[in-house]
Amino acid sequence: MTRVTALVADDEPLLRERLRSNLARLWPELEVVADARNGREAVELFDIHLPQIVFLDVHMPGMNGIDAARSIARRAQLVFVTAYEQYAVQAFEQGAIDYLVKPFDEARLADTVQRLRTRFDQAPAASGNALDAVIERLSSELRQRTPSSAYLQWIKASVGQSVRLIPVEQVAYLKADEKYTLVVWEGGEALIRKSIRELADELDPERFAQVHRSVIVNLHQVSQVNRGPNETAEIQLKGRKELLPVSRSFVHVFRQM
Amino acid sequence: MNMVSPNPPGSGLLAALTLRRVTIALALAVVVAAVLNPIFVTPFVVLLGRTMVIAMVLLLVFIGLGQWRPSWAPTWLVQVLGVALAVPIATFAVYLPSVGGDVTAVLSHEDRVSGFLLIALCSLIAGPLMTLGAAVRERDAQARNQSLQFALERSTLERQALDARLRLLHAQIEPHFLFNTLANVQELVESGSPQAAPVLRNLIAYLRGAMPRLNDADATLGDEAELVHAYLALMLMRMPDRLRFTVDIPQALKGMHFPSMALLTLVENAVRHGVDPSEQGGAIEVGARREASGDTVVWVADSGVGMSEKTAAGTGLTNLRARLKAVYGDAARLELLEHTPQGLRAQIVIEPSAST
Repeated sequence: MTRVTALVADDEPLLRERLRSNLARLWPELEVVADARNGREAVELFDIHLPQIVFLDVHMPGMNGIDAARSIARRAQLVFVTAYEQYAVQAFEQGAIDYLVKPFDEARLADTVQRLRTRFDQAPAASGNALDAVIERLSSELRQRTPSSAYLQWIKASVGQSVRLIPVEQVAYLKADEKYTLVVWEGGEALIRKSIRELADELDPERFAQVHRSVIVNLHQVSQVNRGPNETAEIQLKGRKELLPVSRSFVHVFRQM
Repeated sequence: MNMVSPNPPGSGLLAALTLRRVTIALALAVVVAAVLNPIFVTPFVVLLGRTMVIAMVLLLVFIGLGQWRPSWAPTWLVQVLGVALAVPIATFAVYLPSVGGDVTAVLSHEDRVSGFLLIALCSLIAGPLMTLGAAVRERDAQARNQSLQFALERSTLERQALDARLRLLHAQIEPHFLFNTLANVQELVESGSPQAAPVLRNLIAYLRGAMPRLNDADATLGDEAELVHAYLALMLMRMPDRLRFTVDIPQALKGMHFPSMALLTLVENAVRHGVDPSEQGGAIEVGARREASGDTVVWVADSGVGMSEKTAAGTGLTNLRARLKAVYGDAARLELLEHTPQGLRAQIVIEPSAST
């Protein structure tokens, strides 16, 4: 029988150790040739050692296990390791992919070892399509789980010596001030370098509206709009004294309200 | 959002011209006419007609000025002055038809001049007084409106506080964290590591602190510090090569009341979104300080990956904001700052009035 090699990728050292020691007991002939601490290392070490089996933790810093799997693809037998992630377990089950749920007991690992061994005894042709589908599915799932919006959620502004992250929902309005923009929010006001035009593109139009060449207002903080002469209007804000101008070309923003 | 539109004036004016107001104005006109009747030679009906016309003109002036709402003076003052000014003009105007529009005819006739002066005087007393009364009533209505608004806001706040508490009771201990930690403990136990006992102690301390509790009125900053210390010690076992941490709360602040789990939320965020996503990891620093201003600042700083402007705030931060609002009202706030040279600093600032 030829030499069988494996790579273990997990960001938690104790878990790498546990997997190594369990494998040593259950499959003495298996040689764990490398330990990786993240997805990037896993791919690099895989390319150096080209092991036949890769144990991949799903959740790892930087590049995660799913992205590493995409990179390694069909060049090895993959076994995913995950801690209570129902969506991942479901995907593995449906795609008939090998996986372990942490914390796993030795009997469960023995099953996996048994399956891997039979596969090596037979022809090592894995069903690649199922794997690809599972990887794609989990990859998009993981992207959704790290919520990032298309619009600004925070406005970074220098206040004193530090940079504050102001939640956009606390911003009352933004007003052009020469080269800068004045941000006025519940906790104060500050100048930022971004222009009104840039901000108009980056802020969620559901919440923010440009009402004047130099003014963007948070619609949730508007208490009243008073019509003025010449198709203009003035905005009153909740709990604030100042009035904001609405110029002719932006009055339509309030038409339907 | 309501659209208040003073233009065109017609619609608003009509809406404000209530039956009640018209009735009061006309009743007042009857009283003035009745008082003046014995003095006047003019038949009562004519006199009544004149006072009624004047009353209606004054009412229209009052309403019109009320709609105008000038920004340079209080509306009630403008209304009182406007009505006073309208009195002589209106009175003069009602005399004109009786002389066929001849102005000099009014002024040349002595009886008419004294009649004009009498009606004007009476109206000048009655008109502005009524105006003032009406303005005060309007103000009262506004104040009532506002107090209702406040009551509504208060009840919304109370509901939010309840929601926040319910969410707190709901699955605060993340299964992912728990099972990963247990997997580590399993390895320590199976390999007979001497680390097993202290790690289990931390796990027990963490679970005890993180257990949902109904009443956190007696939770202190010292309790929270112990909880986050246990949590960070467990995370250190899991990522010894990537995590460094310090928890340093001054002794004097440990007895201070502090909402349970508030500090843990910030520390969990620092691990999950700051240190854990980074291959190199980072340091977490938990501290507290009483400022010269009396404000208490409790902070969690991490040197992790920081936060992009487009990262959506997790439910943890949103819930924490709601809880701070529920516990402290406006006397506490959560601030997020960029940590130099990298990472994020989250701090809870509690004003002296609220910290005990």
